Order: sequence, then C-alpha cells, then structure tokens
Amino acid sequence: MTTTASHALLAAEEVSSSSRTLTILVFIVMIAVTLGVTVWAGRQTKSAADFHSGGREFSGMQNGFAIGSDYMSAASFLGIAGMIALFGYDGFLYSIGFLVAWLVALLLVAELLRNSGRFTMADVLSYRMQQRPVRTAAAVSTITVSIFYLLAQMVGAGAVVALLLGIQPGETYLGMDADTAKIVGIVVVGILMTLYVTFGGMKGTTWVQIIKAGMLMGGTIVLAALVMAIYGFDFGELMSDASNASGAGQSFLEPGLRFGVEVPGDALQTMWNKLDLISLGLALVLGTAGLPHILIRFYTVPDSKAARKSVNWGIGLIGSFYLMTLILGFGAAALVGKEAITAQDAAGNTAAPQLAREVGEHFGGEFFGSVMLAVIAAVAFAAILSTVAGLVIASSSSLAHDFYNSVVRKGRASEHEEIKVARLSAFGIGAASIVLAIFAQSLNVAFLVGLAFAIAASANLPTLLLSLFWKRFNTRGAVAGIYGGLISAVGLVVFSPVFSGTEKALLPGIDIAWFPLTNPGLVSIPLGLLCAIVGTLSSGESNPRRFAELQVRALTGAGAEGAAKH
Amino acid sequence: MVAMHSDPRFDQLRRSLMRFVLPVSVGFLAWYLLYVLMSAYARDVMSTVLFGDVNVALVFGVLQFASTFGIAIMYARYADRKVDPLADDLRTELTGAAAGASAGRTGGRA
Repeated sequence: MTTTASHALLAAEEVSSSSRTLTILVFIVMIAVTLGVTVWAGRQTKSAADFHSGGREFSGMQNGFAIGSDYMSAASFLGIAGMIALFGYDGFLYSIGFLVAWLVALLLVAELLRNSGRFTMADVLSYRMQQRPVRTAAAVSTITVSIFYLLAQMVGAGAVVALLLGIQPGETYLGMDADTAKIVGIVVVGILMTLYVTFGGMKGTTWVQIIKAGMLMGGTIVLAALVMAIYGFDFGELMSDASNASGAGQSFLEPGLRFGVEVPGDALQTMWNKLDLISLGLALVLGTAGLPHILIRFYTVPDSKAARKSVNWGIGLIGSFYLMTLILGFGAAALVGKEAITAQDAAGNTAAPQLAREVGEHFGGEFFGSVMLAVIAAVAFAAILSTVAGLVIASSSSLAHDFYNSVVRKGRASEHEEIKVARLSAFGIGAASIVLAIFAQSLNVAFLVGLAFAIAASANLPTLLLSLFWKRFNTRGAVAGIYGGLISAVGLVVFSPVFSGTEKALLPGIDIAWFPLTNPGLVSIPLGLLCAIVGTLSSGESNPRRFAELQVRALTGAGAEGAAKH
Repeated sequence: MVAMHSDPRFDQLRRSLMRFVLPVSVGFLAWYLLYVLMSAYARDVMSTVLFGDVNVALVFGVLQFASTFGIAIMYARYADRKVDPLADDLRTELTGAAAGASAGRTGGRA
C-alpha cells in the first residue's frame, strides 16, 4: 500500500507543473471577474441599506444561491467530502445536521426577522429593550461567532491554497516553499475578502456569492456525474467498492468511525464520545438559525415571502449538494484511496481535488486530469473567498450599525457616517483576521466552526426566539441570555480536550481540561436559555406595548423595510 | 399597530401560522434527535443490511433529507394559502392600500 501512496505522490509531481499553471490561470480569471463585480456594485452603493443589505433588491432565487454560498464553505465542500472519504458514513451524518438546521431558520426565524428588523440580528433583539446594553451584547456575540468562523476558514484557506498548488514540503514554486505559500494564501484571501466588502458592500458580496454557488454546483455536478459514470450509474457498486477500499469493510457504511467512537475496554470514554456526538448534533441543528452572517442575508430581499423562497432555494441547493458530496466522498475512497489522501493531507481536505484529477485522467488522460484539478481547485478557492466575505460583512455591519451608531452615537449617526464606519470596520476586521490567522496557522483550529455553531445555538437562537415569542422577555433577560450562552460555550471549550491536555489539542503543553466533551452545545445551549429566563424573571421591566407592536410587524410585515428605489 | 395585536383577525393570523409551525418544528426536531440518538446508541439496528450494501443507517439518513425537502415544500404551500392572505389583508389595512410593501421607509426604527 505504501507503494501506491508514493506512486500517487510521484504522479502528483509530474502533472503538477502543467496543472499549477492552469490552476493559477483560473484563479486569476476568477479574481478579475469578482473584483470587476465588486467595482460595479460599489458604484451603486449609496445608502446604508445598499451597504448592509444590498438595497434589498435580490430575488428569492438569487438570495437562495447566496445563502447556499455562505453555507457551503470550503470547510463543507472539502471537509465533508474528505470526512466521508476517510470515515465513510459519519461524514454524511455531519452533513445531515447542517441541512436539517435550515428548517429552524425557515419555520421560526427567516420571515419574522425580515419583517421586523433592518440590518442586523440586534434590530430584532433590541426592539422592545434598552438599546445600548442589548446591542452591545449582540455585537459582541456577532463578532465573536464571525471571527471564530473566519479564522477557521482562513487557516484552512492557507493550507488549501498550498495544497491546491501542489507544493510538497521541501519543494518550492515561484520561490515559495509550502510554509510561505500558506502565508501567501492567507494574505491573498484576506486582502480579497476585505476588498469585496469594503468596496462592494452587501451588493458586491452577494454577487460574488452567487457566482461561487453557480461554480460550486456546476463543478460538483460534473464531478459526481463522472464518478457515477465510472460505476455505470450504480450507486451500490460505488458503495461496495468504497467500503472494500477503505479497509474498514462494512463499518465504513455505518455510524461510529469518527463520531461517538466506541473505545474497547473504556466504558467512560465511550460514554463521553457518544454524548459528544449528541452535543455536536444539537449545536449543528440549532446553530444555523443563530449565525449572524446567515441572518443578515434575509434582509437582502424585498419582503418576507422572498425570504421564505430564498430559504427554500437554499435548502434545495444545500441538500442536493450534500447528496452529491456523498458520491464524491465514496468516489475518493474508492478511486483515490485512503493512503494517497492522507499522504497529501492528514485531515482529508484534498480528497475532492485529488478525485477530480483521478477521474479526469480516467476519461481524458493526463491533460484532462489537470483541467479537472484546476477547475475543482478554483471552485474550492471561490468557496473560501465568498464565505469569508459573508463573515466580514456580518461583523462590520454589526460594528457600524449596532455598536457605533446605536451605542456610541446613540442613533444619531448619518447614513453616510454609518457606511464610512462599516467600511473602516471591514478593513480593520480584515487586517486583524489576516494577522490572527497567520499566528494560528500551525494550530489545529478545525474545532472553531463547531464552536461558532455552539455559540450561535447557545447565545443567539434562544434570545432571538424569546424576543419574538415571549411577552415577558426583557433587557436583563436578553443580555444574560447572550453573555450566558457565549461565556458558557467558550468557557467549556477552554476546559475541554480540544484546548489542552491531549496531543492534538490547541495547547498540547498544558492540561487544564476537566470538561470531557469537545463540543459544548449539550450543556451551553440549555445554560444560555436558562440565563435568559432567570435574567428576565429577576427584572421587573416589561414592555407589552412594544411587544405587541413587534409581533404585529413580524407577522403582518406592516412597516417592514422595503426595497430601495434607484 | 398596538391595537391590531388584540384584533381577532390578528389572533387568527397568529394561530394559523402556529398551527403549522409548532407541531412541525417539534416533529422534525424529534425525528432528527431520534436519528442522532440511534446513530450513537442503536448501532445494531442502524447496521442492519436491508439489501445489497444498503443498511438502515443510510436509509434513515436519506429519509432526513427527504423529510427536510418535504417540510420545506409543504410549508411554502401552507403559508401561501393559509397565512399570506391574512397577513396581506392586515398589512394593507395598517399601512394604507396604496403604500403596500414599500411603505416601510417611515416605519418605526428599531
């Protein structure tokens, strides 16, 4: 088996020069097109609604594509395909949580938020509360969630760019070795996302996302179809080939290789592992509808009906994408093989690009292999870019609208001023995340996405739902709910085995781990909800008039912000 | 706006929305939780092979996709028929017929 792996590496070096040139060429074309779109969008961005919400003129279908794009990050395109390739069924299990979560957004959040807010999540949270404490808390949680998510994506981006260019350790390309290429990857991604947001605002960001979603779906459909063609469109054949090649046999097609692992002879660890799976499952399904960069997407359409339509488009795209990922993952397990995948990247992040090359070579020789690799590499690069841009605009809108305008300027800032601050914030967040990502690049930050979902599920979703449906809910409840959920989620992770105490931990040198789960959701979600309820009941404040107004607005759409008229 | 909250037609709007949203939310969350719990604790059942290489786990997973798609479509149809007409009526009454959806410019700032 070792010879197979070294053979694959050798083959990688042989094709890499032609495919690298092609990959770089496709990257440059894509960067040029997206920057062109950004400049065009920037010229049309005049009001605060243009900057934060793209003028609210996107159709349900367009926003559905952008939602899919925000969500189908490189982490889910490369990560889930790789997880399925290496661990089989459990990668699929992971994607199911991501998909079902959209029903929470569809049924309980999207339309009500669209009707009653303007630019940010805090607009709804603070509607019947004291503005400053609630908006400050919401901004803190928005920025924490977005930065964690952003860091995970950018650190991944550095590694992925180096791998997509096929730079092996000890080898240089254009004078860069693998480590320099990672840093260059982080810096390029950071600069581009800052440019998209600073100049293009939500309009530019949304169009970049729509383009990416088209590329991603197109690339995935072609690749999945080619894999199926190899197996004569017999999925059963693909499955049995994948499970045979995996070395795990039947258990490759069953849950348990990656999550909820049963440790023989260690009943305690087995119990923690299984609870960890449930904790992750909860965080995934309840987190999506509390992710700020997803929530602000609902403001980019003219009304609540379009918001509903956009979630349904998103569900259709994301669901069919995950189903195709199952084909890609099994395909990579069968055709590329575990040895060759882990030889390239231990976490399996390059399984999909490797599969593209393999399948291309099968049908059209070395040249077509290089073309397929370049195309899938470009898709992955686009996936990184559009997701990080969505995260930057979510945090800069919250900084400018919630913190600067409402807290610092007490709502007296002009639109021009708010846009200027939002642009500055985007610039600052972009620069800060480049620096943070460079420092974090050698750390294992894969857990950050799970943490971002856990915070969103613990701090944001409970307060959002209580403010829409609980009459008694008040300022202290909202503030306690947000900080309680945020602190318990982050705090428990600090004392968990992903932070310290194990070899794979963020800080392997120390051991302060006493919380046994890697995902805090199982404890922090109920805790966040409890803080919100206790906080509310401990304060006498209540504003039934504003609550009545909020509900009428949320349900009827009366007084909702309309589309901009140009 | 505030007076509308105690209007029987608003009550009807809220009830017609909740009649779908509440049971369906409880239902799909329980259905998903059952899937996760079985993946953790009922591995014998999940690994039962139904035909070929297809086992219960795969069918259960695909059913999660199917139920998600199904609920999304059902909700869109339900909202379109049973909720939107009520909401449209009340909104028109609140904001004036001519203004429609774009009346929000002057709407209360959050």
